[in-house]
Amino acid sequence: MTKGRIFLLSILVLFFYNCEEDNTSPLDVVYSSIEDLHAPQQGGQGQPIAGEFAKFDFETGLSTQSPTEWDIAFRGTAIIVNGGSSLGTTDEPERTGDAGVYIYDGLMSEMSVVDTSLFNQDSSEGYAINTGSGNGWYTYAGPPTYLISPTPGKILVFRTRDGKFAKVEILSYYLGSPENPDAFADQSRYYTFNYVYQPNEGVTEFN
Amino acid sequence: MNSSIIKKKDIEKTNASRLSDVINEELGLITVSDFGGGEGIQMQGLDSQYTLILIDNQPIIGRSAGTLDLDRISVGNIKQVEIVRGASSSLYGNEALAGVINIITDEPKKGFNGSLSSSYETHNTLDNNISLSFSNKNFKSTFFINRYSSDGYDLNQNDELNTVNKFRNSTLQLKLGYQINKNFDIKLNSRYFSQSIDNIASDLLSGESFTAEDNINLSVTHKSKKINTDLDIYFTSFYGDEYLDDDNGERFSESFYDQILFKPEIKSIYSLNKMDNIVLGFGFKHESLNRTYFDINPKQNSPFAYFQYDYHPNEKINLIFGGRFDKFEEYKSQISPKFSGRYRIDDSNSLKLSLGYGFKAPDFRQLYFNFSNTSVGYSVIGYNVINSVINQLIEEGQIANIIIPLSDFNTPLKPESSLSINIGYDRIFNDYISIKSNLFVNSTKNLIDYRVIANKTNGQNVFSYYNINNVSTYGLEVETKFKADNNFDISFGYQLLYAFDIDARRLFEKGEVYARENPSSPAFRLKKSDYFGLYNRSRHMGVLKINYTNPEKNFSSNFRLKYRSKYGLYDSNSNNYLDIYDDFVKGYITANFSFNKNLKKNFIVSSGIENIFNYKDPNNIQNLSGRILYLKLKYRIN
Repeated sequence: MTKGRIFLLSILVLFFYNCEEDNTSPLDVVYSSIEDLHAPQQGGQGQPIAGEFAKFDFETGLSTQSPTEWDIAFRGTAIIVNGGSSLGTTDEPERTGDAGVYIYDGLMSEMSVVDTSLFNQDSSEGYAINTGSGNGWYTYAGPPTYLISPTPGKILVFRTRDGKFAKVEILSYYLGSPENPDAFADQSRYYTFNYVYQPNEGVTEFN
Repeated sequence: MNSSIIKKKDIEKTNASRLSDVINEELGLITVSDFGGGEGIQMQGLDSQYTLILIDNQPIIGRSAGTLDLDRISVGNIKQVEIVRGASSSLYGNEALAGVINIITDEPKKGFNGSLSSSYETHNTLDNNISLSFSNKNFKSTFFINRYSSDGYDLNQNDELNTVNKFRNSTLQLKLGYQINKNFDIKLNSRYFSQSIDNIASDLLSGESFTAEDNINLSVTHKSKKINTDLDIYFTSFYGDEYLDDDNGERFSESFYDQILFKPEIKSIYSLNKMDNIVLGFGFKHESLNRTYFDINPKQNSPFAYFQYDYHPNEKINLIFGGRFDKFEEYKSQISPKFSGRYRIDDSNSLKLSLGYGFKAPDFRQLYFNFSNTSVGYSVIGYNVINSVINQLIEEGQIANIIIPLSDFNTPLKPESSLSINIGYDRIFNDYISIKSNLFVNSTKNLIDYRVIANKTNGQNVFSYYNINNVSTYGLEVETKFKADNNFDISFGYQLLYAFDIDARRLFEKGEVYARENPSSPAFRLKKSDYFGLYNRSRHMGVLKINYTNPEKNFSSNFRLKYRSKYGLYDSNSNNYLDIYDDFVKGYITANFSFNKNLKKNFIVSSGIENIFNYKDPNNIQNLSGRILYLKLKYRIN
């Protein structure tokens, strides 16, 4: 009798547990890509840099104008996160969220578990993603091609403003992501990237 | 020792006018253009800064960017060029990690002699030589003057710049010798070179680039039955300045470079017997440099001493033990041991081995440079002035963040050092065919490179020098000669070369280097075998030379081919290393033909074609102008 009751209880517990899981079934991991996100800037080459950042929101998968609902933003070769504090350049948005970033060395497919101890945020000292060729996400070839190319094997791992995770592989900095870009002919400051977004809070795995 | 000699008659056959022309026809040696257009030598896969260039045993200076421009040296008065490959000679200097090129100038024959020559080439290139010499029992003198000028050429018509700008240069050399008595003689060698090159940076900016070089050597020799002693007092200076004016005639930029070297040295050769001898020498080097972009005028005093023991235990074996000691103010004193040996198995077979350790102290630029590019905004700082310059930049608010902590620069920059091994086998098959082969390994430690040490607020970087790479170059040289008779011979040479950054190869091995199929596809992992090696190194090089002389009809002609296989100039796929997915400069062949005819006893007419196939690669190869035709007249006085 006791045995039967416990059995019934177990069934019930399992049933409700499963029900609960069904109710909050995990959201699918988002695999997507963005083409030609335009990130213009003014100044540069020794002059002060200015211009609005092109903001991007992982949750909607869209670029946005919102002063708060954004995760990462682009201007020229600079990529900022909505976390930390402003470097103080002209037209730089205030940080309102808790976004962070680190760079994973390896392949996009192999970057499977986020290491939360590695995140950095922007600060008045500099951006979390270092600027300059070879320091962050890109390599500047200098003469004779003057091309800016995403450094292969650099995966940007983001924490979004609200604590979710995403990984990004930047593919191109030129409009139309041409197979053989020409720094003199192709328009630059157009980002094309692949990304994977884990919409489930606290889940550090992408698979 | 792995050494070879290019004789005057071989140089004359090819009608070469500059040292770079001569070097480029040698197996395993190529000249590589630097950014300033200078032609530096690459030997056994090592860069030009590791080859010591000497004229009459004395070093030439003036490497403003590390390269010594071989176009500076006229070959009109050269008796022979001696080439030592590998760090195996202890007599000339520690920095010769790759080797030594010693240019020996003409010694006068008895009586009064001389020659006049004039050569006219494509690109309005004019090469005029006058050489006069006089010698009697006690007195010797030679006088040489060369004037070389050219309109230059332009490989890329789409921009306003010329590939090689219009230039003119002059070389003057005077050598005097006097035998005081049976035991004493005294010599004075002096050489002066000056060059001016049009400096055109754009259609609005133009100016001039000027260089002048002096070499003076006073040498006193004492000869006795057993001991010969030389006292050499050598002074050389290299001066360069360049400027650009804008279209209003206002000065836009200006820079100068002023280097001197003073080197007294005593060398004694003690003959133990007919074959064996001991060489002992010591001396002192004083170097100073004053140039734009230096906050201080660095000086370096370095005493040195060396010895060499040339030993022949029997007819078959020759052993040379040597060593060199160099003392520096800022660096640990260095001892560089050397050994070379030859074993003659029989009349037609011999084995050679040489081992040498060499090192190169950081140059003034690597220590004291303080340069900020005005148009792009990056900075380059010498290792020893980092603290003061960075602090100044911080005060000026120019530094965004420091990547390499300044405390990392408290230990001095280490000298680059190299171990070189050459193993040779020579065989004479018969009267017609002979073969020479040589395996070489150069292992270089603490190679100096530059890296980013800080980010600037303008988004650019601050660079400085550091010891990083361990580089290994190894390969094989084979030279075959077929001599039908005194009038016809063919030689063929081949070099196989592997040149790697060992640390980079390890990263490939560990799978930490990535590439993309095309610039906008996802990355993939590279294998060890995908690593191509160092930039500007060709795996295969070949030289073919055919000489034909017709004594009855008084003419000679020769044909030379040089092949260089593909090589990479830069990393085109952004992973910092040269891998097989990068863009390469295509392999190519250049062919030269020359013809010399004696019209009368003392009158020679020469003509020829260089780069017969008109090979050009405007984007990658600046020193190949396309086909060149020339006509040369020479008159001998005696």
